[in-house]
Amino acid sequence: MRYLWVMISLLPVYLALTANLEVSNLIVGALLTLFVAVLLPPMQRSINVARLPGALLALLQYIIVLMIELIRSGLQVARIVLSPSLPIRPGIIAIPSGTNSELATALSAHAISVTPGELVVEIDDQGVMYTHCLDASQPEEARLFAQRQRHDLLRRIIQ
Amino acid sequence: MQPILELIAILAVIGGTAFSITGVLGLVRLPDVYTRLHATGKVGVFGVVLLLIAALLLTPLGLGKGLVLIVLLLIGGPVTAHALASAAYRIRIPLKHALRDDLAETSEPEP
Repeated sequence: MRYLWVMISLLPVYLALTANLEVSNLIVGALLTLFVAVLLPPMQRSINVARLPGALLALLQYIIVLMIELIRSGLQVARIVLSPSLPIRPGIIAIPSGTNSELATALSAHAISVTPGELVVEIDDQGVMYTHCLDASQPEEARLFAQRQRHDLLRRIIQ
Repeated sequence: MQPILELIAILAVIGGTAFSITGVLGLVRLPDVYTRLHATGKVGVFGVVLLLIAALLLTPLGLGKGLVLIVLLLIGGPVTAHALASAAYRIRIPLKHALRDDLAETSEPEP
């Protein structure tokens, strides 16, 4: 049963890569994904089927937020690089991730690295993310608020 | 439909090239490792993604392959930037013009 979830999530990737929906290719894909599923360590968390639609919706929302952040990030860093005076005030700021889950901390660290002008340098045992910012002079409340929003959205995805 | 797709592809090529050039400019202009990673890790990835979108529309790459590549790049880009920044901090490469450094206060003194 636990192999099945890995197979269900991996098979679309294989089919997208091969761009071939014939039955023989489906069988090869199923065998390959089964092989990968056997190699992977067993998942600790169990999947709650009733919550799956809500989690997928939250995931979609999260991806859209990430895309918007990525575009803003690209434009902002490009503007800084292209302006003649190079307006940067760099520094490393501690942002608590607000969760004990390793997966949630890792995902918020990824999200932070996508947001404009921020890059996670180090994470400690308590889940505090030490973030390098291009503009460290901004007020801290805004950063904490953004992290709380990310955290709420992430909790809806992984529970 | 075909001309519209081609127009989008051409815009994506122009945008992707512009962002890639900006990434390289950032690599040259910014003062230290950490700030340079902002330029290459974000602007660079953004440029490559735009070029990939153009490749999707103009070449027989295949929609699925291109989308998988874009997703992998978007996941991998920030992770690479983080890994490089973390490694740089661990071998104690100093920050330049830093306003503050919260990490320096918590990490243990040098042996």
